[in-house]
Amino acid sequence: MKVSKQIILSFLVAGAFIAAATLQGCSKYLDKEPFTTLNPGEAFQNAGDLQLYTNSFYVQQMPSAKTIFSGDNTSDYISGNNPPTLMTAQVSANNPIDGWSRSTAQSGSWPELRNINYFLQNNINPAIPDSIRRSYTGIARFFRAWWYFNMVRQFGNVPWVGSALSTTDSSLYKTQDPRTLVMDSIEADLDFAIANAPRAKDNSCSMITKWTALALKSRVGLFEGSFRKYHTELGLAGSAATWFNYAVDASNTLISSGLYKLHTTGTPQSDYRAVFTTSTPWSDEIILAYVYNDGLKLWHNANAYFTSPTLGNRTSPIKSFIDTYLNKDGSRFTDQPNYDTISFVNEMKNRDLRLQQSVRCNGYKYSTGVSAPPDYSFTFTGYQPLKFNVDDPAINLNSQNNNSIPIFRYAEVLLNLAEAKEELGSLSSTDWNNTIGLLRSRAGISNTSMPVTADPYMAQYFMNTITDPVLLEIRRERGVELMLEGFRFDDIRRWKMGPLMNMPYNGVYVPQLSTPYAMNGDGVLNVSFVTATPTSGTIKGVYYYLIDNKTVKLTQGASGNIIWLANIPRVWDDKMYYNPIPSSEIVLNPNLKQNPGW
Amino acid sequence: MNLISTRLLKFFVFLGLTWLMNAGQDLLAQSPATVVRGTIVTEKGVPLEGATIKVNNPKSQETYSVASNERGLFEFRTLTAGVTYNFTVSHIGYASKSIRGFLVKQNENNSLLVRMSEGSNDLDQYVVVGYGTQKRGDLTGAVTQVSGEVLQDRPSPNISRSLEGIVPNLNISMSDGKPIRNPAYNIRGLTSIGAGGSASALVLIDGVSGDPSLLNPDDVESITVLKDAASAAIYGARGAFGVVLITTKSAKKGKTLMNFNSSYSINQKTVTPKLVNDGYTWGKAYADSYNAWYDYKTPAGTINGMFPNTDAGFDSLQARTTNPSLPKVTVDPATGKYLYYGSTNWIQQLYRDNTPATDNSLSLSGSNQNADFYISGRYYDQGGVFRYDPDHFKRINLRAKGDINVSSWFTLSDNIDFNTYNYFYPINNNKVPVWANFATNLNPLVVLTNPDGTLTPQSYSSVGDLYTGNNTSTTKQLFFRNTVSFNADIIRNLLSLKGDFTYANTNNTVAGIYRPVTYSQGPGMTASNTGNQLSQATAITSYYATNLYASAHKDFGPHSVKLLAGMNIEDQRFDSTFIQRDGIIDPNQPNINLLNGTNYVLSGGGNEWTIVGLFFRANYAYKDKYLVEINGRYDGSSKFPSYSRFGFFPSLSAGWMLSKESFMDATKGWMDNLKIRASVGSLGNGQIRPYLFDPLMTVQKPSTAQNISINGVIPTYTSNPNVIPSGLTWEKSTTVDGGIDASFLQNRLRFSFDYYIRYSTGNFTSGQPLPAVFGAAVPNGNNANLKTSGWEFSPSWHSNITKDLSFTIGIVVSDNTSVITRFYNPTGVLPAPYTLTPSTYYKGMHPGEIWGFQTEGLFQSQQDISTHADQSYFTVSNSNVLMPGDIKFADISHKGVINNGQNTLADHGDLKILGNATPRYLFGVNLGATWKRISIAAFFQGVGKQNWWPGVEAGNFWGQYNRPYESMPAYMMKDVWSTDHPNAYYPRYRGYVALSGTRELAVVQSRYLQNAAYIRLKNLNVSYSLPAEWCNKFKITGAKIYFTGQNMFTLSPLHKYAANFDPEVINGADPEVNAGSGNGYSYPMLKTFTAGINLTF
Repeated sequence: MKVSKQIILSFLVAGAFIAAATLQGCSKYLDKEPFTTLNPGEAFQNAGDLQLYTNSFYVQQMPSAKTIFSGDNTSDYISGNNPPTLMTAQVSANNPIDGWSRSTAQSGSWPELRNINYFLQNNINPAIPDSIRRSYTGIARFFRAWWYFNMVRQFGNVPWVGSALSTTDSSLYKTQDPRTLVMDSIEADLDFAIANAPRAKDNSCSMITKWTALALKSRVGLFEGSFRKYHTELGLAGSAATWFNYAVDASNTLISSGLYKLHTTGTPQSDYRAVFTTSTPWSDEIILAYVYNDGLKLWHNANAYFTSPTLGNRTSPIKSFIDTYLNKDGSRFTDQPNYDTISFVNEMKNRDLRLQQSVRCNGYKYSTGVSAPPDYSFTFTGYQPLKFNVDDPAINLNSQNNNSIPIFRYAEVLLNLAEAKEELGSLSSTDWNNTIGLLRSRAGISNTSMPVTADPYMAQYFMNTITDPVLLEIRRERGVELMLEGFRFDDIRRWKMGPLMNMPYNGVYVPQLSTPYAMNGDGVLNVSFVTATPTSGTIKGVYYYLIDNKTVKLTQGASGNIIWLANIPRVWDDKMYYNPIPSSEIVLNPNLKQNPGW
Repeated sequence: MNLISTRLLKFFVFLGLTWLMNAGQDLLAQSPATVVRGTIVTEKGVPLEGATIKVNNPKSQETYSVASNERGLFEFRTLTAGVTYNFTVSHIGYASKSIRGFLVKQNENNSLLVRMSEGSNDLDQYVVVGYGTQKRGDLTGAVTQVSGEVLQDRPSPNISRSLEGIVPNLNISMSDGKPIRNPAYNIRGLTSIGAGGSASALVLIDGVSGDPSLLNPDDVESITVLKDAASAAIYGARGAFGVVLITTKSAKKGKTLMNFNSSYSINQKTVTPKLVNDGYTWGKAYADSYNAWYDYKTPAGTINGMFPNTDAGFDSLQARTTNPSLPKVTVDPATGKYLYYGSTNWIQQLYRDNTPATDNSLSLSGSNQNADFYISGRYYDQGGVFRYDPDHFKRINLRAKGDINVSSWFTLSDNIDFNTYNYFYPINNNKVPVWANFATNLNPLVVLTNPDGTLTPQSYSSVGDLYTGNNTSTTKQLFFRNTVSFNADIIRNLLSLKGDFTYANTNNTVAGIYRPVTYSQGPGMTASNTGNQLSQATAITSYYATNLYASAHKDFGPHSVKLLAGMNIEDQRFDSTFIQRDGIIDPNQPNINLLNGTNYVLSGGGNEWTIVGLFFRANYAYKDKYLVEINGRYDGSSKFPSYSRFGFFPSLSAGWMLSKESFMDATKGWMDNLKIRASVGSLGNGQIRPYLFDPLMTVQKPSTAQNISINGVIPTYTSNPNVIPSGLTWEKSTTVDGGIDASFLQNRLRFSFDYYIRYSTGNFTSGQPLPAVFGAAVPNGNNANLKTSGWEFSPSWHSNITKDLSFTIGIVVSDNTSVITRFYNPTGVLPAPYTLTPSTYYKGMHPGEIWGFQTEGLFQSQQDISTHADQSYFTVSNSNVLMPGDIKFADISHKGVINNGQNTLADHGDLKILGNATPRYLFGVNLGATWKRISIAAFFQGVGKQNWWPGVEAGNFWGQYNRPYESMPAYMMKDVWSTDHPNAYYPRYRGYVALSGTRELAVVQSRYLQNAAYIRLKNLNVSYSLPAEWCNKFKITGAKIYFTGQNMFTLSPLHKYAANFDPEVINGADPEVNAGSGNGYSYPMLKTFTAGINLTF
């Protein structure tokens, strides 16, 4: 084992040289690029890359089921555990509603915009055919228009940011741009999307196409037209017609394509509800949906939301709104003198068939055959939403709703068209028949003719500011058809009808206290209204609804309509047409102007 | 397995070679030689075992060393007659002795008798430092070394458990009792709030970075902690926050030893939660708490779905309490579903009382002048805590080390470490720790099974996965490491060159099985969940390290100079894959290949990094009195952008041995030595994630929350990259340290004290906040500074009362506090509500501080409420109606309204700092006594000061205040407010108030802030060494039996109101499942009772 010292020494010296040489070149040696992610230079090489990127817009911006079915919690016709957050003292510029700086799925959050702008700036690779690039840019600009529309809905004036900003960009500190500039930019994005996004109808109802862009333009046009018309303080009323016309044109283009229609199978008892309860969206009516699917384990929890005392808001529609549903023969329910003292079981009979497809009534049963009357541990007013719920009670517990939730559907386009045309003064009876008429016949209403006299109930509902009988009917129709789909507060904003938010939270008529009633009309007693929970003699299956005469009372004391949250005053303030800009943002950018009143 | 077998083969080849060389050297050593024998004894004449005897031929510079045996004997067989040799004898705890100029005579009985004086000086003891060793007396930095004995006789899945509290300011926090728990090693408190995040200490095992949890405790020779920048500087950028050096055992010189250690342990939970087990009490409280949240007007329809909330329902329940023979389960004729009237003690039902563990290890070592070897193996097995499908931990360690003196000046060594562990544990399909499930779903009314043996809906959803064993996870890890190294004495006693090369590979797989669990709601009404998938996560880490360094040592009269310089290159690559698919075809044969579902997850990850460094150290000593040391390192790291890739980090330290000064002569009688030290150094922090400076566009599937389908498939997507910071440089930590070491009364009393300040500058945190329109996370920059200061104090006393009786007492205490000295937070936003990792900081903040409201008491009357300030900010019930019995918050700001203001420093309303969660005054107390052959050692460990906020979802603290269907701590009910009990601790009984947001008990407040200080008997050990005559009878050298108890008792003020918590298991939930499920929902801490035997051959 004799080892020569010289050999080892020379090895060591050589090793030291190699090591030294390694260190010399070690800056190169220290280059370690990430290998499990793309870098910007690799991400815009071909059509597949563009699709990969644009998928992120869907992931970030598609409103989830809950966003939609809880969207009307802030509205005039839904009551719940508490008054809408917007109307409580908790909301202020210091404690704003989400939307400006925090990231939530639907409401505007600036990272989503940056993501789109970054794509638009980088989708310039000449190696990809121009038509393909334009197609994906069309999708991106659709999402940018949608994003900005959501911001304008919430905040009114917002700064327009058209590029991915650097940390030193002066645009970070600019003030809000004029509403006209932002809306015109949205319109330009939408026109580009209509011209360039894929033209083929998407029967999966899950992709952005030309037709989705048209549906959005129809929505945006109606919103902006009526906002400018009724919010005269903006001084933009002169351009309202332009926007109504955008809505009319976009709606007409979509309608005349013939690709879509109302989903009907000739069974008005279920056709309307089917739009909201199937896993595979009805592509005849639905333009874009959030698609849920058992196989992909994509589920939402609408059933649990409406049938849990704790999970949701205990969404409880109010009677003043339920009363706007017409009778099945087309006559007005509120024309009968005793309409507000009719018992629940009777008031549910012979109505617009959408009513029994929207709230539990008339012997509603689970798919197991078990009777499911309105459950007073889930509703305060006696009306319990059914619209997005499926009939399997197991879903109430396991939160595995697979029914897809429409985001854009043909019915809305018809309503947009009718309202925009009527606001323009150009709605003909043919137009009526092709819009509202169609919706009413699907709901099983026999007389769908255009009204000639104003409904005093509807006129009073809108505080007698609207006298046009047709416009009143269109508004009734919009409320009924789009119930719980998250449109209502935007409608209130654009109609400038904020005081509607002060409506009392009234509920079903209670003939007398301490008497059990069978609310499903099947003779099985399920609720009794009491001033104190009985200590003995309780009936199995009966829910004892406590009228404590504080939080909840009856209009006549010992009888009458339920009034929920009677002790919590709600006061509308016109500042609530816009959400407050977070004060922390104004600290960071003093050029931002707070919305009036906040 | 192929990989492993290749490595095993390599291992055996190496062993074979070692043996061959051994044999060969023996044959070669047949030169004419004379035997020199000797005996080493203590002052009292007792033979001293294990002393190292070094012999050196001053002319040829040949050096050999051997160790004395149990009779104090040693011998050298290869010395040449007629040559004059120098002998040096050393032993830990004894002063070294030298015999110079001993002439070895031919054919004569050359013998030596060396008498060692006990404990007189330990300054000659060698301490492991970076790239070498130093005499303790020469140290100028803050270095603590403990011997591997602290790990002995303490069976544990991981040595980190035994190190807790041993070394002052080596802060190891065992957050629960899980066998695979592997804590980060923190030295001296908060390190960085930036890139390092939890930048932990660098841990080196035999000079190469490694994971201490993988070690065989019996292999550990010593553990050294380099605390200040000066001693860690030689490790440069990775030593920025201290270094822990673990040295494994090598062969003892001159003898062949075999050591066998075997023990059997019983583990028990340190805390057995005391809960209300009576169904009637619980059911009534459920009804009360539910109704109270809904302002007493919406009574629950059923008692959590188990029976109707009616008098009749409760009558049926009460009947069963008085007559336990009545069936607990009946069928509701109306629905056909079961009704449950249980009174189940779930803790007893689900946990085993005792769980066993066994620990067996064997080591073999031997040497001659030319080669030595050390081989060890260990098998550790620990059973789990559950009665059904219990978890199970197994670990196997193998180590082989060997040195060959290839020639008189060149030594070649190899060090192989192989270990593997396997951890099986039950999991829940719903990704909630099983403990949180116990608390939220298993109330006493629930029974485990229906009369037909099926699971009930409640037991199914909470512990069905556990009971059936259908949902499990198995973690397997294989680790292999080989270090080959050489040591060349180029110029004897002047210059030597050392080098090593290491390859390490860690292969970790986690396999998850999720099979459906069935239950029935009523006779014939069975259903099952949809959990039906397999998953497998694989992570492979390959690591290479090379060190090459030279050291020189020369004395010039009273001047002593040492130099060291070298280079270090390390390279690591990490790759991971995750696969998951649903649709198990045959539940009895769960295999990735036997799946037919449509839901896949396939993902991967990985990173790599390289560092290179050039380092040096220079020591200068004058008469061992004035000591100076300079360290420096030039480091390059791939983790930084090319323009700031390299950094130079210097340090300086000095020591003054006061006791060697002549003016201290007067103290010689009682003071043995006194040294003062000071050091300063600055290091860059290279312990950061790779790619922090790269724009990354991750390609991914949507998270569960955002899950969406496009055209029938769940899309893969990418999105815009993070905004890249510019002009970045290293985070730096600069430490100033001053210390005193002293010993008195023949080294019986010793202490060491250090005070330090560590400035952590340029922390990589978010920069100037930008308006939200920026649309991206504000890029991080070197934007924050942090100052941590603290001290360590470790006095000890060792004394021999008589020949047979001695005792020791050792105390270590340490403390540190941090303050943020720079942070971008212009609006002064407060980091409330309190979490362990704050969302933001502000200048002047002491991290860990807990902001909250001052609680004044409980409202006692309506008038009390109406005259008090408006506190509608807090939610007390569904309609937020205050009632007597609710919490009265103090109006500190005197504004008449109690809230958090703008939640800023300038306007924080009624918030104030209530306490701090940082553990303070960490201590350990070691007590030991030896009488003849019996030794007793006790080790206490604890925290002197620490606040704890229970937090939302901590059901074991809040009970039904969190959720009405939560289990109830038994001690809670007697302390709930009522008009008869106005001074109770808890407010009006109500559900949901501790659940979230600004609910009454969810807001941080003084009343429920807990004092989590504690003292714990970590270890109590009694051992008995068998007399030599017995051992001789069985032909063994030594035998010892021992009994050990660990975590045997704990005292803590926490237990006044949180008796169901172990003070060490309070932060977060089981991190492998979901740490955010609520504090306390973790694997229970265990106390261990062990009996063991240790045999030496």
